[in-house]
Amino acid sequence: MRKRQMYAAGYLFLSPWLIGFVLLYLGPIAASLYLSFTRYDLLTPPDWIGLANYRQMFTDDFRLGDSVRVTFRYVLLSVPIRLAFALGLALLLNQGMRLLGLYRTIYYIPSLLGGSVAISILWRQVFDKTGLFNRMLALVGIEGPNWIADPKYAIFSLVGLSVWQFGAVMIIFLAGLKQMPQELYEAATVDGAGAIRKFASITLPLLTPVIFFNLTLSLIGAFQTFTKAFIISGGTGGPINSTLLYSLYLYIKGFNFLEMGYAAAMAWLLLVIVAVMTGLLFLSSRYWVFYADGGSRK
Amino acid sequence: MKRSSALALLFALVLLLATACGGGGSKNNSGGDANGGSEATAQSGGGSNASAGNAAEDKPAEKPQNADLRMSWWGSEERHEKTLKAIELFELKNPGVKITGEYSGFDGYMDKLNTQIAAGNAPDLIQLGGNIKEYVDKGALLDLSPYVGSILNLDDFNGGLVKSATFDGKLYGVTLGVSSSAILYNASMFERAGVPLPSPDWNYDDFKSIVTQISEKLGKGYYGSYDLSSDAATFGSFLGAHGKELYRDGERHFEREDAIQWFTMWDELRKAGVIVPPDMQVANPPSAVDKSLILQGKVAIQSAAASQIYGYQELTQDLLGLTVYPNGPAGSGMIPPISGQYMTVSANTEHPEVAVSFINFMVNDLEGGVILGNSRGVPPAGKIRDALAAQSTPVDKVLYDYISLVSDVAPPVEYQQFPLDNEFTKLLQLTSEKIAFGAASIDAAVDEFMNEVDKLLEKARAQ
Repeated sequence: MRKRQMYAAGYLFLSPWLIGFVLLYLGPIAASLYLSFTRYDLLTPPDWIGLANYRQMFTDDFRLGDSVRVTFRYVLLSVPIRLAFALGLALLLNQGMRLLGLYRTIYYIPSLLGGSVAISILWRQVFDKTGLFNRMLALVGIEGPNWIADPKYAIFSLVGLSVWQFGAVMIIFLAGLKQMPQELYEAATVDGAGAIRKFASITLPLLTPVIFFNLTLSLIGAFQTFTKAFIISGGTGGPINSTLLYSLYLYIKGFNFLEMGYAAAMAWLLLVIVAVMTGLLFLSSRYWVFYADGGSRK
Repeated sequence: MKRSSALALLFALVLLLATACGGGGSKNNSGGDANGGSEATAQSGGGSNASAGNAAEDKPAEKPQNADLRMSWWGSEERHEKTLKAIELFELKNPGVKITGEYSGFDGYMDKLNTQIAAGNAPDLIQLGGNIKEYVDKGALLDLSPYVGSILNLDDFNGGLVKSATFDGKLYGVTLGVSSSAILYNASMFERAGVPLPSPDWNYDDFKSIVTQISEKLGKGYYGSYDLSSDAATFGSFLGAHGKELYRDGERHFEREDAIQWFTMWDELRKAGVIVPPDMQVANPPSAVDKSLILQGKVAIQSAAASQIYGYQELTQDLLGLTVYPNGPAGSGMIPPISGQYMTVSANTEHPEVAVSFINFMVNDLEGGVILGNSRGVPPAGKIRDALAAQSTPVDKVLYDYISLVSDVAPPVEYQQFPLDNEFTKLLQLTSEKIAFGAASIDAAVDEFMNEVDKLLEKARAQ
């Protein structure tokens, strides 16, 4: 009896989360799975069409091919560069400098702002033909292209904006660095190892779990990027689909062209793509991620 | 290694699941400058200087009890101000009625509206453009026919305007203003270049030579025209001028050769350097009033909805003008002036009478009509046009002259809008950009274009 009461109390305390999870996640997930087998224009009831949406995705939608290519390009560029950048700064900040708290805060600010509409609009201005960035290039005699309006370069402005939001990743790296056992460095110093050697043989291997964590989160996040591409391209994914990230195309299909069923099917394809990528990452992790404690403790 | 990596895996899975329902969730109403395309016909800039002060005309509308309504529209800042003012006046005349405006620019307007309708939360009064039929087909709008003659007075309306919002014998919308697509030009630039203004009977050869002359006379950084190969209204008119049509009765009425000819013409102008290069066009699209290079005196010609001239003229010292698209072997490809946009009532409104009497107020009330001015195009009711004429500005005159010019030259065909207009506009722009940036040859790009147009028509038929 008391035990049952305890269970009830437990579920009661869990209920805010449970209700939220069922209503806000599980319900919509189930609905989107159902809708992916229908033709649904939002205004009239959905119409069951079986696998037709999925068939069309794989056989008859050149924009989808474009957007998958653009998305992979974006992920493969932005994730490693952001991680490297964040790690570099974390190492710098870990040198025991004064005012560390202040610097940490300043570097973190872009991560708070970066996803916002305002920053994306600002980004447009900075990388315009006559924007701040090109004026800086002009000082050293380079005539920059129109970074946002040229299909060859447009993706780089998105990558740049993503890299700029390195703060959260950097903080996690910094926390990892703070936990490094000092005795290893002392021993290495005694053995005459230089800074590079210490970094390559101690810091990097011990940091691999943190890198793995950041890599996984950044990868999943990058596949779902929406706001930047939406604002910078004016909602079009242009020029010539060069910024048509997957989520943006999904949005255009759903809310612009009113093909909600197709958009739902696209969401499930994205889920599969991200699952496969994450799965590969986990499989590879056993070859490069090193847990100093053997993973026995948490 | 097991435990922590299992936890990480679990965490990753939860994040992954969020993907399935995430993706398109965020809504951003601000933002860039999606091209207007033929949709631009439905947009407009702002109105003339209107001030109330004509004889008040009290409507014998039923005294409505307390009614709370919502009304949504898109437009420029000036249209918002005028519409809000008109609402205020209506509330003053009808105590107990409250109308809350939900207004924005055109970008994202339809997206938001679709979501509201789907959620059963549609505004009572909805401004729609040429896409009104889509909403009629989906049962989202109220049949206004029962109110005509009682609350809604359309006696002063030209029959075509009523017909364009009538489907299966039922009326679903009321035209707020008459407009037409147009060539919008910077007259001061013509003068600076010493090139005579285009005459209404110009053809595409004249167009090419004018564009070339302006660009050459004014030198580097100045262009005769925007690249209109991506503009659906100009393309439609080009087809009309060549005896073809974009669309009629479920079919396309042009061939691959027509599209080849179209894109080749623009490609030659582009290669000659006399029209705006593609990267500049993407960064400064003509449809964005605040970015258009025509206002800076750098580009002489663009395509726009005629009533947009208010918004453009307000932002420049240069003098702007309107004219028809060039003629072709088959004469003028203009379509007769059409309804710029309709005011419609949601099928789910709780106050149909109040909503309809507000529409009547917008189009028939002298005070209300004068406040709204020409901000949605030329008002359809003659008495309001007369009231406005008494205080007209030079820009009003340009607009009125242009609308009557179009009425004169346009062949008397009944215009049919391409059914998936939004998607067609995007497709035309994609094709134009592929050619302009050199990502595809004209042949390859047009093949894909024709193929996609046919797919759009197939999709429209299936709906």
